[in-house]
Amino acid sequence: MSATAFAGAASARTGGLRRFASQEALLAVAVISLAVVVGAINPRFLAYRNVADILLGNAYIAIAAIGMSMVIISGNIDISVGSLIGVLATISGSLAVAGAPTFVSWLVPLILGVAVMAAQGAVVAYLRIPSIVVTLGMLSILKGGLISVTGGRWITDLPQSFHLADLNVVGLPMPVVIMVLATALAAIWMRYSPRGRATYATGGNAEAARLCGVDPQRTVVMVFAIHGLFAGIATLVYATQLRVIQSNTPAGLELTVITASVVGGVSILGGVGTVVGSTLAAILIAEITSALVFINVSPYWTDALRGGLILATVIADILRRQRRAAREWKK
Amino acid sequence: MSVAAEISARKAPWWLKRHETLLAIILVLALIGLGAFNERFLTPDNLLNQGRLMTEIGLISLPMTFVIITGGIDLSVGAIVGLCAIMLGYSWKNFGFPLPLAIVFSLFVGALAGFVNGLVITRVKVPPLIMTIATLALYRGLAEGVSQAHSVRGYPEWFYFLGQGSILGVPTQLLILIVLMVVSGVVLDRTTFGRTLYAIGANETAARFSALNVDRAKLIIYTLSGLASGLAAFVLVSRVTTTRMDMGLGYELDVIAAVVLGGASIFGGSGTIWGTAIGLAMIQLLKNGLALTGVKGDATIVVIGAALILSVLVASSLQRRRD
Amino acid sequence: MSEAIQIAPLLQARDIEKSFPGVRALSGVSFEVKAGEVHALLGENGAGKSTLIKVLSGVYQPDGGAILIDGREVRFATPEDAKRAGVATIYQELLLFPELTVAENIFLGHAPLAGGGRIDWREMRAKTEALLASLEINDIDPDQIVGALSVGHRQRVEILRALSHDARILIMDEPTASLTEVDVTRLFDIVRRLKGRGVGVVYISHRLDEIFAIADRVTVLRDGAYVGWRPVADTTSAELVQMMVGRRIDNLFPKTVVPIGAPVLEARDIVRRPMTKSVSLSVRAGEIVGLAGLVGSGRSEFAQTIFGVTPAESGEIRLMGEIVRIDSPESARARGIAYVPEDRGVQGLVRPMSVLHNFSLAALSALARAGFIDRAAERRMAEAGVKRFDVKTSSVDEIAGRLSGGNQQKIVLGKWLANNPKLLILDEPTRGIDVGAKAEIHRLMSELAGAGVAILMISSELPEVLGMSDRVLVMREGRLVGEFDRAHATSEAVGAAMMGSEPKVEKAA
Repeated sequence: MSATAFAGAASARTGGLRRFASQEALLAVAVISLAVVVGAINPRFLAYRNVADILLGNAYIAIAAIGMSMVIISGNIDISVGSLIGVLATISGSLAVAGAPTFVSWLVPLILGVAVMAAQGAVVAYLRIPSIVVTLGMLSILKGGLISVTGGRWITDLPQSFHLADLNVVGLPMPVVIMVLATALAAIWMRYSPRGRATYATGGNAEAARLCGVDPQRTVVMVFAIHGLFAGIATLVYATQLRVIQSNTPAGLELTVITASVVGGVSILGGVGTVVGSTLAAILIAEITSALVFINVSPYWTDALRGGLILATVIADILRRQRRAAREWKK
Repeated sequence: MSVAAEISARKAPWWLKRHETLLAIILVLALIGLGAFNERFLTPDNLLNQGRLMTEIGLISLPMTFVIITGGIDLSVGAIVGLCAIMLGYSWKNFGFPLPLAIVFSLFVGALAGFVNGLVITRVKVPPLIMTIATLALYRGLAEGVSQAHSVRGYPEWFYFLGQGSILGVPTQLLILIVLMVVSGVVLDRTTFGRTLYAIGANETAARFSALNVDRAKLIIYTLSGLASGLAAFVLVSRVTTTRMDMGLGYELDVIAAVVLGGASIFGGSGTIWGTAIGLAMIQLLKNGLALTGVKGDATIVVIGAALILSVLVASSLQRRRD
Repeated sequence: MSEAIQIAPLLQARDIEKSFPGVRALSGVSFEVKAGEVHALLGENGAGKSTLIKVLSGVYQPDGGAILIDGREVRFATPEDAKRAGVATIYQELLLFPELTVAENIFLGHAPLAGGGRIDWREMRAKTEALLASLEINDIDPDQIVGALSVGHRQRVEILRALSHDARILIMDEPTASLTEVDVTRLFDIVRRLKGRGVGVVYISHRLDEIFAIADRVTVLRDGAYVGWRPVADTTSAELVQMMVGRRIDNLFPKTVVPIGAPVLEARDIVRRPMTKSVSLSVRAGEIVGLAGLVGSGRSEFAQTIFGVTPAESGEIRLMGEIVRIDSPESARARGIAYVPEDRGVQGLVRPMSVLHNFSLAALSALARAGFIDRAAERRMAEAGVKRFDVKTSSVDEIAGRLSGGNQQKIVLGKWLANNPKLLILDEPTRGIDVGAKAEIHRLMSELAGAGVAILMISSELPEVLGMSDRVLVMREGRLVGEFDRAHATSEAVGAAMMGSEPKVEKAA
């Protein structure tokens, strides 16, 4: 049973064809049918150039959404990730410009990402402060700190070797390779490692998890740390594509990341979901944004669409749970 | 700012419980300290101007106090401010509404946005945090979509009275804030509605079993939260003379920080309007004080973020010691 | 030597003592289970069964006495310790993760690992299949998601999880409470297999017929004390009921005879799935009707339907002869219905609020003018209540959660009496409170009945039901199954109706 089919069973129950009615399958169908329909209206939508733009420009969102999915599955939320990526990108770029070896400018964001997120996870887990409060506070600390330290200066003249995202691996652009690898590795980890399973257990029923020998507090810290690692990787993919790093936070990034996770099938109440779905959802959202341009709808409607999408998914998820609970009563 | 603080401090002795008293003392000490440090600070002009600047956050923090007392949260308030500001400008300029009607219309949109939050929270039982994150994206997106990033200016002179005018030397909007603050405080302290909110936050099941209408109370507070955001949008547009789609960005942080700093428990069941008033004054004081000492505006949100986390930390560790 | 080990019971508890603040939960309780034996534990609610199994499974530490495994004394500091010693417990609420598979649930926390800390998926599945085969369960797939399984299947998964820990002693807390008949049969089949393998089973149940079907021995507890044990083959259900309820009917219940008036509540064919399946009853002015039944028989659910928390799906409610629609607690209160709930801490009291604010909570609209609370009147009301019900508190401004259970209960009762209800529904009014407070509540009930209030009292304590009621109704599985007038309501007859074990001595209604 593959990771995909596993999640399929979680949402659509077991057996036969119903497994294909999973959130992932649904998303894959949506991605393809949207491409076909918009491509029919405007064939340029399917041009290599545009497809590459969609994937390259949004791979970092998909990567960040992987960690976000884990955080949500463990029963928490993080709204600081957008600011963190902005800060890490600036630090990474500054190091590169200052003449640090390339691998240092790549490694430092990963380490800092893990450190910041693990610290937040520790406050959430051990001091019992709701994750929304901790990460809302962190969001403003990072955002305000970034602008007040850099004064909004742009980072230019990045050395050529810094641009990791420009490389190709067997003919495929690096961001896409990293996105696919990260998704696959995370999916396998969530599925096969004891700690990955503990994440589901903690989000599903922390008290029962404790009785079964899982330490929910340590699990939460670990999940936040991993989320920080993916935020660091996302930063690399994002920052090394840019010729100029603007020393600010990509506007509304945290909401795009949360949307990708939720639309990808992660139940916002914790405990259910996969990372494959969130990657597909990130691609779908990027595709929708791009499609709007090709069918001559103003891109300013993108955010409203994204908001509507997350709202609809959340309501559908809760209604589905309520129906399932009602069915269980009857058994 | 100090006016509101002084009013609550003077009326307070029998209302203020220990937390508020402590906060008020810290506030007064900070005022004196800043005054000694910088002679431009403790001037009537500066204080009144600070009062003007904090009104938008203050208006929203009143219903937010209600919401947090019930154990809920509303993250969509900043987005509603943006949506209402756009609705005000666009219904006037582009739909051709007379300006007074446009104002009423934007207030209605704000109330409706809050009502939708409340409706889904009570009927579908979506947790408030999740619901208002989703509508934060939706309402901001609607503001962007409707406005197409165009701004609106050129309002008639009378429109600026609310945001820039004064009555007897006191900024107009500050007077409105003070009146609404007193009304909210009395409602929370003296009415069955206020008591219902505390009961919901402390034990929602027992509140239901005591024949209190829990869902109706929640619906009302989220609607009020939207309405107050709409009013804040009106005040804001009138003060800065322009309507832009990014208005109110990040307001949720300041509002929640003011309420939590004011002693409301993020877990529900406790909090007062008087505490929120002091929390609000402290945040404005922080911004002003940092600005006067030459710190840029962006650094102040760092401090507000840290203050939010710290105040929750302190409150929860005090709570644990009491139990 | 080896013979001695064989003779020693698998698990033995000697003179266990356990107290909680204000309550003596267990005093001098002894219990043992041998290999290959099913030993049933019987007692009313509050008799101490749950506390005893929590002591045996390491959740609580006993204040006195000893626990012996294979004749050697052990100490369980945590549930993990008990698990390691071979004691596994299956609680009423199954501790499963609906999103994980059967195999994952069974091996959560002790999954077989391959190199590098990976879960050895194949090994785990193979072990699960072996466990399934050992109990001849062939309709569960190790890869199935537990959320999709029926309750009966889930329970089997829990049993497998216990076996995966090599449990030698299996404690089952009311395992049949939510099972269908087919699932009960399969459960018994599994229990017999385990017994055949030498596992000792501790079986907690209210249902006498089950005990006669599956158990070898039965131990009875009452009020936290050990009453005695009997071999199942040598006892009768009458004897067991006698042991459970004891001879405490002669306790002083100040039931006074008052004239009974017109019907206040007439409920006909009330249905509210899943727990209330067509209930009809009436309560008259001045009458105290006792509603007996086991936990899970649907009594509280029925009461909450009358009170509007879970409005009826069909049926007819008449109050004072008039057909009414009750769709919320507000509408119930407006009609003169009061409900003192079963779970004081969750449903009854707002613990962080003051005594004053708790007293007025259900009467706020009566105390308010134009929405404003008349605070002087509120205070007068609370102070009068404290006086009338003799609530022991330093002042009405004291935090309600700090008072003792009995005083908390008086507050909950008092807040509803402030509304002058016509129908008072009391759900376990004296559970977990001390004898003095109990007597006062009983006195109060008589007084209220004398004043013409109709009282419907739910209680799991048979002596209380028999002592206080003018009429006793018995519910089982969501239906009324017996009605007795005061003269015919004996502990044997009512107890038998509750259990559904003996022919009912029914009075023509």
